[in-house]
This record gives sequence, C-alpha cells and structure tokens, in this order.
Amino acid sequence: MGLHRYAFHAMAATNEVQVHAPDRPRAEAMAARAIEEVRRIEAKYSRYRPDSIVSRINAAAGAGPVAVDTETAQLLDYADACWRQSGGLFDATSGVLRRVWRFEAGRRPPTDAELATVLALIGWDRVERANGTVRLPVAGMELDFGGFGKEYAVDRAALVLREAGATSALVNLAGDLAILGEQPGGEPWRVAVQHPRREATALATLPVASGAIATSGDYERYLEADGVRHCHVLDPRTGRSARGFQSVTVHAPSCLVAGSASTIAMLEGHEAGLAWLEALGLPHLCVLSDGTLVDRFAPLSRG
Amino acid sequence: MKRAAALALLAALSACTTVAPYQRGYLARPDMALGADPGTTRALDKTFDAKEAARGGASVGGGGCGCN
Amino acid sequence: MAATDPGEDRTTRSGALGALMQAALALPILAVAARAGAAEVGEIGITTLGYKERGLMKVTEPVLWGRVQLAEVWEIEASGAVDIVTGASPELVTNLSGKPVQSVTGASINDRRTTGDVKVTRRFGDYALAASTARSNEEDYHSKSWAVEGRVDLNQRNTTLVASYGESHDHVGSSIDPTLNAPRDTREYLFGVTQILSPLDIVESTLTYSRGHGDYNDPYKLTLTFYPDQVLPTLLPDTRPDHRDMLAWLTRYRRHFPASDATLQAEYRYFHDDWGITAHTLEVGWEQRMGEHWAVRPGLRYYTQNAADFYAPVIPRPTPSVLSSDQRLGAFGGLSPSLRVTWRGGDGWKVEGTAGYVQDSASFRLGGNGSEAFATLRAVYGILTVSRAF
Repeated sequence: MGLHRYAFHAMAATNEVQVHAPDRPRAEAMAARAIEEVRRIEAKYSRYRPDSIVSRINAAAGAGPVAVDTETAQLLDYADACWRQSGGLFDATSGVLRRVWRFEAGRRPPTDAELATVLALIGWDRVERANGTVRLPVAGMELDFGGFGKEYAVDRAALVLREAGATSALVNLAGDLAILGEQPGGEPWRVAVQHPRREATALATLPVASGAIATSGDYERYLEADGVRHCHVLDPRTGRSARGFQSVTVHAPSCLVAGSASTIAMLEGHEAGLAWLEALGLPHLCVLSDGTLVDRFAPLSRG
Repeated sequence: MKRAAALALLAALSACTTVAPYQRGYLARPDMALGADPGTTRALDKTFDAKEAARGGASVGGGGCGCN
Repeated sequence: MAATDPGEDRTTRSGALGALMQAALALPILAVAARAGAAEVGEIGITTLGYKERGLMKVTEPVLWGRVQLAEVWEIEASGAVDIVTGASPELVTNLSGKPVQSVTGASINDRRTTGDVKVTRRFGDYALAASTARSNEEDYHSKSWAVEGRVDLNQRNTTLVASYGESHDHVGSSIDPTLNAPRDTREYLFGVTQILSPLDIVESTLTYSRGHGDYNDPYKLTLTFYPDQVLPTLLPDTRPDHRDMLAWLTRYRRHFPASDATLQAEYRYFHDDWGITAHTLEVGWEQRMGEHWAVRPGLRYYTQNAADFYAPVIPRPTPSVLSSDQRLGAFGGLSPSLRVTWRGGDGWKVEGTAGYVQDSASFRLGGNGSEAFATLRAVYGILTVSRAF
C-alpha cells in the first residue's frame, strides 16, 4: 500500500486527492473518479456557465418556475436547514452583494445607499420551492451555491472514493477536506490549518483520523479601508462584513456541515459564534479578531 | 548542588512555550514515547541491573530481585 | 412551499446539529464519524528475553503485560512473568595465582521466578492518583512491594508533575543455606517532571531517592586471600553494610525530525549511593521510520561506575567488617550497541525485536582506573515483543 497524491485545478483553486492504494493504476482510477465528480458539480452549479442550472434559475428570476432535479432540490433543502438553524444568517440569495463589494486593493466598502439597492433582492424566505421547481419572484434575485457547493463536492468526492474501493483517502478542495479513514498503521492524517495572517504558514496541524474539516476566514478575499478589514463573509441582513473572527475551523462528519457551521459562526460574531459552535458539539479551532486562539479541538484523552 | 541543578532545570522548563493539544501530532508518535513497551523495558532493565550497581530511576515500587 | 419566519423555526440550540445532519444526509454523500487522532483503549503484549554470557548464563523470560482504560477515567496496568534462570554463577574470588581472579565453583543454579504486578490509576480531570503492588518469588528471594502515585497536568498538559512513594519488603534466602531468611526493607521517594518543549520535542526528568536496610549480602559469594607470610588463607563471605541509600536522577529526551521521518532518543542517568558508588549511564538511539510499517533503531549505551567503598578483590589486613569482591561493585565501564527493528501493521499489531551486545570491562571505565580483578564480561541479548493495541 502506497500513498498516491493527485493535484488538480478546479473551482479556481488548487486541489488534491490523496489515496492509499496497493498500486498506481488503482490509485489513479480512484482519484480520476473523484476528480471527475468534482468537475461535474462545478459545472452543474457554476454561475459562469450560462447553461448551468444555477444560471437558468437566475435568468428566470421574476418570470416562471424552473424545474430542478433531485440533487438540486436536496441541496436547496440543505440551504433551507442552514437558513433556519442560523436564524437567517446563512442565506443562499445573498450572492447579489457581490455587485457592490469589490475585494481588491484600493477599493472602499459600499455605502449604505449602494447596499440598499441589493439588500432588497435578498431573502431566502421569498424563494418559491414546490413540486420540483424553483422560482425567484423578483427580477435581479440570484441563487448562489458558492456558500456550500465546494463542501458538497468534497463530500461527494469522498463517497465516490469509497465506492471505488478506497479505505484510506483524503479529498482537499482548497482547504475544505474530508478524510475517509485512518492511514495504514493506524496513524491519523495531519491537516494543516492556514494561518489567517501569515502566508504559507500553518496555524496548527490537526491529527484527524476521519471526518471532514472546513475553515471560514477573513483572509481569502478582503479589503482594508481606514484600518478596518472587510471580508467576503457578508451578513445578508445588513450587507456588511462579518466581525469577530479571523478564522473558524470545524471538524464534522460531513464537509457540508463543517462548512456551514464555520460560516455561520463567522456571521454570528465572536460571542454568539462561540456559543453556536459549543451548542453544536463539534470540535473547533478559532482565531478571534484580536488574534486570540480558541482551541476546542482535541478531546481530553491521553495523547 | 545536585538539588540546585534540579531546581534550575525546573525553572527553565516553565519558561517554554505552550503547545496546544492540536499541535501534538508528532508527540503522539510511538517513537516519541518516553519509554519502550512495558515488556521490552523490563527485559532491558533486568539485563543491565543484573550486571551493574546502579539501578532504578524511572519508577518506584517495582520490587526487588535476587539478581545473582 | 411557504417558508415561515426563521426565528420561530429555529430548533433548540442542541438540536441544530441534528437538523443540519439530517438535511445533509438526505443527499447522496458520505458522512463518517469525526474522529481526531487515534483513540486507543488498551494494549496487550508478550515479551521474551534471551541472554547469553560466554557459556555462563542463559536466561529466558516470557512476560505477559497489558493495560486497559475503563470508562475514560480508570486505567489498569498489569504484568506477569515466569523467568527461568539457569546456569552457573561465579562465586569465588581468590588470589591463589598471585593476582585476584574469579573462579566458578561449578555449582549451577536452576531457578524459577514468578513475578506479578498491578497498577490502578484514576483520573480526576488534570489530576490522577494511582496505587500499585508487585510480587516476586524465587527459591531464594521473595519480594513484596506497593506504591502510591499522584500526577498533575499543568498548562494544557504541557507540564506533568509526578510524585510517588513506595515500600518493598523482601526476604533473602539461599539455596545453599536453607536457614537463611533475612529481611530487607526499602522506602522509595520519586519526583518527576515531564515537559513538552515544542511540537517536536519533549523531556522528562525524574529523581528517585531510596533508603533501605536489611541484608544486602550475596550468599553465594566468597573471597579467599593468600598472604605470603601466612600459611592459611583468609576466607570471608560477601559482607555488605546493612543499609543502602540510593539516589538516581534520570533524564530522557525525545526529538522528532520530520524531514528525516526519524526521532532522536537520548537518556542519561546519574546514580549515587552511600556505598560510595557513583555511576553514569548514557543511552542514545535513532529511530528511523522506513515506510509505513517498519522502523529501525540503532542504539548505543555507555555505562561507567566506580567501586564501592568496601569493594576489594583481596582481603586487607586487619580483616574489615564489610567487604565484597563482587565485581558488580567494582570500577568498570560498559558499552552496549543495540539494534531494534519494529513492524507495525494495521489494527494495532506490533512485532518488535531488539538485539544487543554488552561488553563490560575495567578499561571502559571513564577516566581509567578500572578494578584490576574485573573479568571482562561479554554478552548478547535478544528481546522479542508481540503486542496488539485495541
């Protein structure tokens, strides 16, 4: 059994599949299936392809309902559960905020007037879902799968690897990852968590035997104005940037849940976010906005 | 004098940085354990204690042996 | 489907995970239990030792050992062994030839030793208390001991302090003299610190102080000395003080080198007792991982001691009240290279073999001046452990 690693480009990032397999042909076969599944999901839910289901739903905003398949309907059910559990903070229609936020050097955050124009187009509770169809009632509204599409792709890739016969593998899409099982010899995998302020530096290396890890941070896309950082995690009610955390990392049975948990924690802010993570009962690792580390990752057993 | 050295060691150690639980991946490796498995440790101790005057150091209450 | 106000639908905080998981699992995805690290409940193993000196001694010893954690707060460790000690043991030191030498009288020892020990630990958060007891029974030596131990973890378990107290109550006998049944009682005090220095290295330092009184004589050893101006030689059985205070200071260090996938293991022990013996032990090993399952560890151990105050290969005049010619109390040094090979399979199986060569001689003593009567010892040993973690 050897460890085989395959890097690939998808979702505008460098990603990786690592798999333990008896020989290279089998490893390549398993990795290829996983990578294929990731590309399929990327294509299906991409904003940038006019023929994707997301683009068709958005193009029909203000017009008639669009038929969706089971996979899409279930993903939207998941988005709905997140919206409910987060008290409306997790909102799959908040992608329109992209129109007024430009996370580039030298840019300024949008004014209240600019935000007001797009805030009127946000509201998951207004999305009409019925009988296998989806309708956005107001023209200009958008569905954005960016908040959970990557995590879903990680979980699907993990399942595909399992079905292809892998017993010990890791799928990593730009830092959101799932681990299928311990490495041979019983050793856990080592997951490096990006330091929120220092490039190419790990904040921590977590020993993970199985499960998924997802991180939300204020360092992926942001702008700084007047000494204040504004990041791409935006509150759908105010349109403003989330405050309180530099990064949140969560360990959960599925990457979907780990990703939503970490995003919702960022949106809740420092105190409510920590309370949310504790109530969930999932191991987590956070860096507060002042740089303080909150470590609730490892169980208190002999190590 | 030996006691002073021991206390100095203790003081120096307390100045070390804190390593959080999630950073202990390497420390959990079997080759980082501070002793071998109980069987091998006992066998090595027995081998050397039978031929040398020095003994002990790691634990107490292990009982004696004739060692003749 | 009309959506209701999110505030009303928000399930109680503890149910949030359930709601998210339920919605996630409706999708065709994989969800595996989120486990950090590798959780181990216990381990059981069997170890055998083979030892051979130049035709003189051969010892084989199967030891069964194990430890198990119960309910996350209890840990029980136990081991049991049956040793079979065979072979002759040097008994007489005589200067008949002009210089003192050891001679084997030809008597052979065939001895069975049974030992057993148990230790129970209870954790209370950052504190732990333990109690242990041990027994050892041979034909000519019976030992009973017990100990209590307290541990405290500080600073997120970066620092661990341990203190323990133990007592041994032994009886020394002799297969030559069945009437011998002398007691030997020992009290031991231990204090130790374990400190994580960085994610890559850790150090442990332990101080043990032991006070004992009772019979320390070796009932099988004699000294026979001829004087040029006397017809009859003087014979003195091994006679040692009736007390022994010992101090042992052991420091162990481990450092991992990720680029080499290997770990440096080093330990040093300082020993001193009120018999006048000072000894140093230094052991260094390099455990090199080779692939996923194998590890190889070459090691080297160096030992040096000076002689006990009452050690003499020749009886001085006037005859002293305490004297021993046992060369294990003499001045000598020892060098022992070893090689350990470990195989770790999946599922917690481990097979580990250690082979070593030991050479003790007067010339190896640090600083020279080794005891002239010291007969160089050359021995090999082999240890095999098979164990399973579960």
